[in-house]
Order: sequence, then structure tokens, then C-alpha cells
Amino acid sequence: MTSWRVTRPGIFAPCLLLLLLPACDGPQSALAPAGREAELLADLFWIMLAGAVVLWLAINGLMFYVTRINVGHMPRRLAEGIIIGGGIVFPVIVLAALLGYGLTLMPLTRVPGDGLRIRVTGEQWWWRVEYWPEGAEAPVVAANEVRLPSGRRTDIELAAHEVIHSFWIPALGGKTDMFPGRDTLMTLEPLTPGVYRGQCAEFCGESHALMAFQAVVLPEEEFADWLEAEAAPARPPSGPLEAAGQEVFLAQGCGACHTVRGTPATGAVGPDLTHVGSRLTIGAGTLPPTAEALANWIAHPGTIKPGVEMPSYDELAPDDLAALAAWLEGLE
Amino acid sequence: MVHQKGKDWQDGVKSDEAEFAEEADSLWRITLGPLIWALHFVASYGTTAAWCAKVATAFEPVPGLRIGLAVLTVAALAGIVWVGWRAWRQWDFTEDWDYVNKEGENEDRHEFLGHAAFLLAIVSFVGVVYVAMPVLLIESCR
Ligand code: HEC
Ligand SMILES: [Cu+2]
Repeated sequence: MTSWRVTRPGIFAPCLLLLLLPACDGPQSALAPAGREAELLADLFWIMLAGAVVLWLAINGLMFYVTRINVGHMPRRLAEGIIIGGGIVFPVIVLAALLGYGLTLMPLTRVPGDGLRIRVTGEQWWWRVEYWPEGAEAPVVAANEVRLPSGRRTDIELAAHEVIHSFWIPALGGKTDMFPGRDTLMTLEPLTPGVYRGQCAEFCGESHALMAFQAVVLPEEEFADWLEAEAAPARPPSGPLEAAGQEVFLAQGCGACHTVRGTPATGAVGPDLTHVGSRLTIGAGTLPPTAEALANWIAHPGTIKPGVEMPSYDELAPDDLAALAAWLEGLE
Repeated sequence: MVHQKGKDWQDGVKSDEAEFAEEADSLWRITLGPLIWALHFVASYGTTAAWCAKVATAFEPVPGLRIGLAVLTVAALAGIVWVGWRAWRQWDFTEDWDYVNKEGENEDRHEFLGHAAFLLAIVSFVGVVYVAMPVLLIESCR
């Protein structure tokens, strides 16, 4: 009556898992932590997994014991011992230990920041980002990228414009939802400089999956230099092509939605473009920051990102489009 | 299996109505454990939400809240232990070693309700402990 034969899927499943393991590495993995919170969460994951495996093996081992190995009559005491010990006492203790361990981590992930505050607002489908260094009167406005100093703990204030979003950089920490009309708080202490990927983690409409961003962790001095550059107005056009591009930008009314500090464009509907050329991606993690991609984006953003709240400029003359793209690319 | 009936029940002549009326109390008693658990749950979450919204700021430690809820938890656990103890006596397991009370007679019914209440008290005890742990281990409202 016992069948020990291991079925083919039974062999393949663990092999498949092994194949998937390398996928745990990379710029967007909670299992490749690069920050204090992420380290705690990765430990938590492995310990919870170990607890789950122990429980699974013990419970199934007992099931196996009573259904396959010891199938005859069993002394009452033994039967009750198995049910009460294996079914109640053991799981209660293991779960209490795991719960207790998990809960003691919570205060550690909620330590207040030590100076810099960042405010991120979820828009459809991009991120408005404001840097408030200690004592600042006005923020340094940026978009679609979050830069953080390594080894420092930054307060991150989260908000949303119209619908719920969720802010998540798996390599740096847990995720926190963003609500319209209610601020939520998190703090992050990144440890390893590098470029990580963040992703909106709460369904927010058509282009939710294309609402990502790069999280750039910089050594402290580099971060300070970058923030100073970011606070400066846009650099003047470097040549006639770029100057023509700026003309097109202003003539086409892009400034109604976009700000480029240092020019008359002061719109706040879309992302701040003052230093768009220095971003690692455009369209919130969707395209590379090249002139070609910029031209493509401006001509038909809705094809690249369905439902996007930016009109298409596919009727622009190719020269104008090229000039515009060249100017934007140069806005470092 | 030998059933040793308690002597009050030996005659077994009570009408079903009289018997059910008498048993109504223990029917209520089996809800007591889960009820204490539910009240403790609502009180813990409600107090914490109100406290964090009105009294404390995000990063401030909240010792008052935690001590208050610890006291509430001890009270709830004491209540459940008392309910469980009464249920254990009603089940009367160690007197007759009758585990399942499957005969459906008055005495069986009485002991079965005790048995059920006892098991529910255990679940409620574990539930209250698990509910209380977050409040006791979390330092601030963050
Ligand atoms: C009606 C408002 C509106 C107008 C007008 C508009 N845009 Fe946009 N633009 C947006 C929005 C909203 C986004 C963000 C889209 C997204 O990523 O979901 C955006 C994104 C962009 C981006 C990508 C920015 C980034 O950080 O990834 C560029 C570049 C851009 N627009 C250029 C232009 C140019 C050039 C024009 C004029 C030819 C223009 N926009 C006109 C609303 C507008
Ligand atoms: Cu979103």
C-alpha cells in the first residue's frame, strides 16, 4: 500500500528552484540587501523560512508516521501526545518565537533620521521628489529618482496625489504605502553605494507597472556635491542646437506642465526637468536618458506609457524634435 | 467504555425542556473565552489607535500605553484561565475519562459543553497572547 515512487515533477521542482536562485541577486532584490532595513528584513525572511520548514517537516513527518509507518492501533497516550504535542504545543511555541523575533525588529526599522528629509509624492505615473536638507527653507525639487547618502539615516515622507501608490526599494528596505491626503513616514539607512531599482508596489492604474525609479546611493561627500548641483538652475544652452531646443520647449507650452529652473517654464503638473539630462532613466524608469529616447518620448509618450498625462507631440517637425531632445539631454 | 454518571443525573427523568433550560447557562459559558479574546483585541487596537492619534507623536516612546495594555492583558488572561478552569471541571475528564461524551444523554451534553468551552479557552488564551505581543514589543507609534 505504500508508494515510495518519486514522480518526475517531484524531482524537477527542486532543480527549478535551484535555477531560480541567481534571480535573487540584482538591483531590485530584498535578498541582496544594501541597507540596514533590508538586512534586517532579509534575516527575517531566512529565519521565518527556517521556522516554516521546521514546522512543515515536523507536521508532515508526524502525518507520515501515523499514516504510513505506525498504521496499527496506537496506545492512547501516544496518540494524544502526537496530537497535543505536535499539533498544538509545538506550533504555538515556534510561532510565538517567530512572532516575538519579528516584532522585536520593528523598532529597529523605525529609528528617526539624522538630518536630511525627503518628501516623495506618488503621481500618475511618476514620482515628485523634494529634498529638504536640515534647516532648509525651501526644497530642492527633482523627480523620478531618489538619491541618498550612504551611512546616514534619511527621513522619507510619503504622500500621493490622486490615488494610492506604494514606495518600495527592495534592496534598501520594506515598502510603505502612499495615500492621498495622509502622509506616511519611513526612514532608510543605505549602506552600500550603488544604483538600485524602486517600483510602485500598489496598483495605481494603466501604467502602474511602468512607475519605477532608480535609487542612487552615494558616499556622503558625493551626495552633498550632487545636491548642490541639483539645487542650481538649469545650465544655459551649450550651442545653437540646444538654444533652438529651448525655444521649441517654450513655444510649445511644455512649461505649462514642466519646470526648468532658470527659464520661464514653471509648470508643476509634470516632473521637474531642470536636470533631466542627469537622470539615469526617463519616464519613471522606462527609457534610457538619451536624445533618441527623449525624442521618442516627446513624440508619443502615450504609446510608451499607456494613459500618460502628457500630450503627444508627433506633429513637431523632426528638426525641432531633435533640437528639443538635444537641449533636454544636455540639462545635466 | 464504562460511563460513570454523576449522582445528580442518575435518574435521568428530567424532561428535555427542563434539561435544555438548565444547560443554557453552559451554552453561554462556552462563548466566554472567545468573547474575552475579542474584547481584548478591540480594546488593544482601539486604545493604541486613539493614543497614537491623540496623545503621542510618532517617535515618542509610549510606556503608559504599554503598561496599561499589559495590565489589560493580564486581566484578560486571568479571566480566560478562570473560564477554562470552570470548563475543565464541567468536562470532568479526570473523573470518568470520558473523552468524547458521545451518548447524547443529559450528562454527556453537559460534559461536552464543558469540553468545548475548555478547548475554546485554550485557543482564546493563545490568541490573547499573540494579540498582546505587538503592543508590548513595539516601542513607539511609528
Ligand atoms: C499636460 C501636461 C504636460 C505637457 C503640456 C507636457 N508634459 Fe511632459 N510630462 C507630463 C507628465 C505628467 C509626465 C510624467 C509622465 C509619466 O512618467 O508618467 C511628463 C514627462 C515628461 C518627460 C520625462 C521626465 C522624466 O523625468 O522622466 C519629459 C522629458 C517631458 N515630459 C518633456 C516634455 C516636453 C518636451 C513637452 C513639450 C513638448 C512636454 N513634456 C509637455 C506632462 C506634460
Ligand atoms: Cu503608482
